[in-house]
Amino acid sequence: MAEATFIYTRDLRKIYPMGGWNVHALAGLDLDVKRNSLTVVMGPSGSGKSTLLYLLGGLDRPTSGEIRVNGKILEELDENALALYRRHTVGFIFQSFNLVASMTALENVAFPMRFAGIPRRKRKERALELLRQVGLEKHIYHRPTELSGGQQQRVAIARALVNDPPLILADEPTGNLDSASGFSIMQLLAELHQSGRTVLMVTHDSRMTRFSTDIIRLLDGRAVDETEYDSATTLPNLEGTRP
Amino acid sequence: MRFWDLLSLIFENLGRRKGRVALTAIGVVIGTAAVLVLVSLASGLQRNATQQLVGIGDLTQIQVMPNYGGPNGPMGMAVVEKVGGGGGGGSTPNQKLITPDSLIELAALPGVTAVIPRDYLQASAAIQYGKLEAYGSIMGVGVADLADLGLNLQSGTSKLAKGTAVIGGVMARNFYDPRQRPGQEPPAPPDLQDKQVKLVLTRYVQDGQQMIETKKTMQVRIVGVIAESRGESDYTMYMPLEDVTAINEWAQGRRINRMRDGYAMAVVKAESVDQVIDLAKQITDLGYQANTPQSYVQGVNSFFMVLQVVFGGVGAVALLVAAIGIANTMTMAILERTREIGLMKAVGATNRNVLSVFLGEAAGIGFLGGLGGVLLGWGGGQVLNILALSYLAGQTAQNGGAPPPSTAVYTPLWLPAFALLFATLVGVLSGLYPALRAATLVPVNALKYE
Repeated sequence: MAEATFIYTRDLRKIYPMGGWNVHALAGLDLDVKRNSLTVVMGPSGSGKSTLLYLLGGLDRPTSGEIRVNGKILEELDENALALYRRHTVGFIFQSFNLVASMTALENVAFPMRFAGIPRRKRKERALELLRQVGLEKHIYHRPTELSGGQQQRVAIARALVNDPPLILADEPTGNLDSASGFSIMQLLAELHQSGRTVLMVTHDSRMTRFSTDIIRLLDGRAVDETEYDSATTLPNLEGTRP
Repeated sequence: MRFWDLLSLIFENLGRRKGRVALTAIGVVIGTAAVLVLVSLASGLQRNATQQLVGIGDLTQIQVMPNYGGPNGPMGMAVVEKVGGGGGGGSTPNQKLITPDSLIELAALPGVTAVIPRDYLQASAAIQYGKLEAYGSIMGVGVADLADLGLNLQSGTSKLAKGTAVIGGVMARNFYDPRQRPGQEPPAPPDLQDKQVKLVLTRYVQDGQQMIETKKTMQVRIVGVIAESRGESDYTMYMPLEDVTAINEWAQGRRINRMRDGYAMAVVKAESVDQVIDLAKQITDLGYQANTPQSYVQGVNSFFMVLQVVFGGVGAVALLVAAIGIANTMTMAILERTREIGLMKAVGATNRNVLSVFLGEAAGIGFLGGLGGVLLGWGGGQVLNILALSYLAGQTAQNGGAPPPSTAVYTPLWLPAFALLFATLVGVLSGLYPALRAATLVPVNALKYE
């Protein structure tokens, strides 16, 4: 494994039992993602993009295969260690923002720091700083319902950064946004990459590739080259085996 | 996660669903209030019963009675007959009389401060004061000062001398006019302090087929009146043991030999209440019979302890129903907040963090409900107290008798603290299963939950 490789997977498989069938979301994926890259993962629905993101983020366990992130072998981590990995190594950005409706923007951003045992005053300072960075200093006491989609996603980005993780995983971060908002979010992600972070983003909007340093194309749970990707079908890989 | 952060998160979460939390907590409020009121009621009853018993006698006293033997030996409870003229130490092998030697033996026990022999008058006696007459228990005590028996005086002195007596506080009310005509006002109770009363003694002697009645009178000066205690002393006239012995010798027509006949009983005084039960056991082991007000108090306490548990159990049923309510609320909350749980895990919360938050919320509902229940129960107890006491005071004013108790419902200090703790514990136990479910959710499944 090269020194510059930040994410490394070998023969990564994830099978979901679904309605009597086994769905092979990932079917032996080999991946090498460079440190400090902005990698866009593209693929049609059902190609395993989100599954890959969840496995890399330690939100789910693979059926088989190996994942190493920043030198950590995720299969070897127990539930507690995996939680600490999520806390310190990964920042998540979701398509649907996943903000807590009853909390203000400031509280939402500070939320992860509560579990990290950071004192209240420092939490507030850090959250304010990040909201300023994403241009929401005037909306710190607004609740999610009082913010636009783009603003909500900015809050989510600020939240992903509070514990200063080296890896940002974004699951279709522009999927619920209009073009202008989506574009500004992509600019923010590009800034994160430029600040030294590794960003892995899932999207099926090919326009977003202009910000990327690398592109991974997924088809039926496998990485494919551009030619195969363009010519292939987008049907999900349904195998006739019962669980 | 720091403790104060956990606490603030728990109360923030509870504050987000005020209505539901309040409705769930009402169940706990009712349950806790029921436990508090019912246990307080049992405690009040126990307190009153104990106070009544303490009023009856000094708790450091042990009443020692002779053991006249019988089929079950000295420990047997059935006293079948009194051996009047038996030989010194007993004609029955297991007989144990209270002789002058016994007094020395009892006084030698560790923790005994005094041994006071007593004897009852064995002749029929009427007490006459002017044209009034009364009957009562007359007792001879082998002590110069009645204060040694723990008796408190209403007036006069407690020191007895030959030809004097100290009477119970209620005895004066027993005097009546034997020549009173129907419809006539009963006489007012006489003030007997420092007055001379006449004892009219009667004995019956068998003469062949006939019983011959002989009467004798003697003058006794009342030197003191004992304060009312709702006990035996209220209706007793205490005289020096020598005076009563002389009357008994006249009644029996023979000299009384204490080594052979013994005393009717003796009072053993212990240094402290704590020693009484142990001393009573030692006295019983020596072969005598021993009674102590402390053993009654213990018996009463045991009974009321059971009553408290039963009453508390009835209240706990209401708490059980509340517990189901908490479990239901927490299960619903976890279903509604599944995505939030997923988010918590995604941003680095450990399973333990999630468990603590949800268990804390359930405990919070229990605590808030418990707090409300304690306040309601305490307030309810006070209202009940006022109503019960005013009713009892009214009854006493109407019918006379003993003064009403000072409290009907008594809440010991430990009870609200215990009730609060118990309600919180109920919350924790109710929330255990839902919280465990929340803690063990797979983050990705929780995040995708619709």
